[in-house]
Amino acid sequence: MLVCRQASKSYATERGVVSAVTAIDLDVPAGRFAAIIGRSGSGKSTLMAMIGGLSRPSGGTVEVDGTDVWRLSENARAAFRNEKIGYVFQFASLLPTLRLIDNVALPAMLGRRRPVPEIHTRAAGLLERLGLGAYFDAYPSEISAGEQRRVAIARALINDPALLLADEPTSDLDEQTEIEIMDELLAVNREVGTTLVLVTHNLALADQAEQIVHIANGAIVA
Amino acid sequence: MTGWLLTSLALQNLGRRKARSFLLIAAVAIGSGVVFTGAALMRSIDDSMAVGFTRLGADMMVVPDGTLTNITAALLTVEPTDLVLDADVLARARLASVGRSAPQKIVRVEHSGIGSHHDLVDLIGIDPARDFTVQPWLKEKLNRAFRHGDVILGAGRDAPLDSQLLIFGKPHVVYGKLGRTGVGTHERGVFMSFETFDALAAAMPLHGGARPAVLAPGKVTGFLVELAPGATALQARFAILSAIKGVKVVTGDSSLSGIRQGLAALLQGILALMVLMFASMAVMVSVLFSAIVTERRGELGLLKAIGARRAQMIGMMVIEAVIATGVGGALGVTLGVLVMRLYERSLVYYLENIGVPFVWLDLPRTVAVAAAAIVLAAAIGALGSFYPAWRASGRDAYDLVRGEG
Repeated sequence: MLVCRQASKSYATERGVVSAVTAIDLDVPAGRFAAIIGRSGSGKSTLMAMIGGLSRPSGGTVEVDGTDVWRLSENARAAFRNEKIGYVFQFASLLPTLRLIDNVALPAMLGRRRPVPEIHTRAAGLLERLGLGAYFDAYPSEISAGEQRRVAIARALINDPALLLADEPTSDLDEQTEIEIMDELLAVNREVGTTLVLVTHNLALADQAEQIVHIANGAIVA
Repeated sequence: MTGWLLTSLALQNLGRRKARSFLLIAAVAIGSGVVFTGAALMRSIDDSMAVGFTRLGADMMVVPDGTLTNITAALLTVEPTDLVLDADVLARARLASVGRSAPQKIVRVEHSGIGSHHDLVDLIGIDPARDFTVQPWLKEKLNRAFRHGDVILGAGRDAPLDSQLLIFGKPHVVYGKLGRTGVGTHERGVFMSFETFDALAAAMPLHGGARPAVLAPGKVTGFLVELAPGATALQARFAILSAIKGVKVVTGDSSLSGIRQGLAALLQGILALMVLMFASMAVMVSVLFSAIVTERRGELGLLKAIGARRAQMIGMMVIEAVIATGVGGALGVTLGVLVMRLYERSLVYYLENIGVPFVWLDLPRTVAVAAAAIVLAAAIGALGSFYPAWRASGRDAYDLVRGEG
């Protein structure tokens, strides 16, 4: 499902070239739950961004579901991200002017592959499943941070992605909410079979994964 | 579907910062209103000047040396004389100080069939395309173009419009009648195109003398001349006398030339100001949308991350700007119409009361100027927002999400 070969990322700064990720080789089979762990600044979010088609690698390749993400044209990569990858960020990432149901429906609306009523039915179903059935018409500012994270998960699932990437999705949440969010992600992985890659520095969360990738100074150490 | 979605997002974004959106719309409304009102009034003033100033006569008259001329306050027609000039003599000289020039032929006749038997009638040939001292005085005319066989009567003559007028037995149609000018030749004249004049010349009986030289094709009695912008009467006079032998230059009231040239320069200045105003609006919109894009980097990154194409991201920002500036443009035009109403009730009313004609821009051209002002305002929004949106959309989604785009 996910194959990285010699994936690297470096930045040119005034003080010279800074290497964020160095020659990473990674294989995550379809349907697996993998956790990428490491300290802050170790390069795990940068690796995640390269996998998700959000940040172009300086070198190496990233294949998702058999497609070399970075060999695609810009528009093709946008369509690929839309169709194949779901992304849950480490911060509240909802558009404040849209109702919750519209936030969830947005990726499908942008993808233009399904009729609008079908998209809204599916968005409503996802919100219902995540316990937010009473808040279809609410705006992000009217719900809690944990609920916002659930809406972001629903949005990530609207197009039935093959790969779900979660970048520290519970970093600013209380312990109980963190458990609830993780339960939702694990349910998606186990019930639907969606490949889940989770970036975290919480070892307790990582312990639930089938595969743990430990990164330090931009390289895999275990 | 996506178009509606992007428009909906753009509208919601405008609603997020109501005060900022209001100020942007207000700024564009003021700019567009000034440009619309300025353009409409400028065209109206230009048209009014064309009528008003040309009614005051030419700046100078070029006639054969030796011609007797009556100096009047307004140079509207040449005087009858036996002397002639070549019709292309001024054009051949190519003088920079000479602007428009209207050639005229004049012959004074009797027994023409106009008026009583011994009435002296001035038949005056004009080039309708170059004339600027006769047609502006038209008080009434037929609702069609001036053509071969038509005549225009001076204020001192009377015949119904569209009636037939026999001149030396040849039928002519009364196309129009002129207002009172106080210039004798102008008031007594019967004006016609060169083509009609030449056709009539063949029918004119000779009474024991030679045929007047002016009846020959390619000959004219003289020219009424308007100075080129910036040129003085002295410069033009010197240039004409140096380049063309055997002519006399009669100068009109130089203060009128100065006023006309000054107003023309003022109108050009207003046009330049309007162009500058639109340019500054474009810069303002661009700066504002650069700031808006910076403020929304995270959201743009998020949109990109969930699969928005570059064109969709640019489209959303451009639609937002076009809606704001288009609404501003429409409001500006509305304000402009109100301002022109006030103008009409005050200054124009006063001018018309003292006999100064003010020619308003006609409705189709006013609508065209209004539409152009709105479209230009919207185009400024599109241009001003395109570059910041294009730059941001080209960044990596990850950089945008982290606020580094």
